[in-house]
Amino acid sequence: MGRPRGFDEAAVVRSAAELFATRSYDGISMDELVTHLGVHRNSLYKTFGSKRGLYQAALTWSLEHEVAPLIGRLQRSGDIAAALRVALTEPGAETGLNLLLLAAVERAPVDGEVAEQLDKVLAAFDEAALQAADANLPAGDADRTADGAKADLAFALTATILGLRLRARAAGSGAGDGGATDIRRAGAALAHHLTQS
Amino acid sequence: MAKISIDGDDLVVEMEGLDKLWALKSRLAIPLTNVRGATADPGIIREPKGLRAPGTRIPGLITAGTFHIDGEQVFWDVHDAAKAVVVELADDRYARLIVEVADPRATVALVEAALAAR
Repeated sequence: MGRPRGFDEAAVVRSAAELFATRSYDGISMDELVTHLGVHRNSLYKTFGSKRGLYQAALTWSLEHEVAPLIGRLQRSGDIAAALRVALTEPGAETGLNLLLLAAVERAPVDGEVAEQLDKVLAAFDEAALQAADANLPAGDADRTADGAKADLAFALTATILGLRLRARAAGSGAGDGGATDIRRAGAALAHHLTQS
Repeated sequence: MAKISIDGDDLVVEMEGLDKLWALKSRLAIPLTNVRGATADPGIIREPKGLRAPGTRIPGLITAGTFHIDGEQVFWDVHDAAKAVVVELADDRYARLIVEVADPRATVALVEAALAAR
């Protein structure tokens, strides 16, 4: 199929991911996409097939290039305190996690493909959190209870990271730096508490 | 106004009432494998339509029939732009169909569900 490209597709996809990370899918019209991306409407249709096609490309790009590296750093962070610091303060984490949150709330319930993608990413998130949590739990004890407790802690850690990102979003632009200081402080306090006990 | 439905492996577009006359077409059946997606897009009415042949165009009132633009053929059947849905095609006579439907959101959901189930 002929797909004439008068534009940089990768840059357009990245720019679409930024836009979709700020507002709801349904709230963004094709007019806004055409204006924001600076690409002719017919070219957008020809390249991506539909608004959903463009959204899928943007979400897939973000999960691969923003969220996956974040998960990688989380995995290598060493302990819970470092994991929270990485997840909440790394540049690039913000857009990726915002898009992930919006996708989970708005698109996953109505789009099976999105639900599947998020399922995999959240599982990877848990896996990385599990490795980070490992350092804070009694070592050597490989019995089932300890494994179960670790998995629960990892699940809670992922939920905490996403929850703090949600709180930062809720704080909006009224909170000076968009709540970034608040979530850093909350993350640090939680990490301190967890690693002391 | 047109009605979009799924019939087996085809996406079917049926023109309603006098639109059969304006668009000079009463029914289009497109294999789902040639359908790339559907989008509600009221703003597309402001895009250049290209050359009409054959069909009807009274700016601000009706755009119906086959239009040629940038080497592509586009099928239009739109009175009320607020309810326009764009169906992008591949390997078909038409590059895309731009038709007015009663419920754009439901139509987009119908097409996407049919594509996901394929």
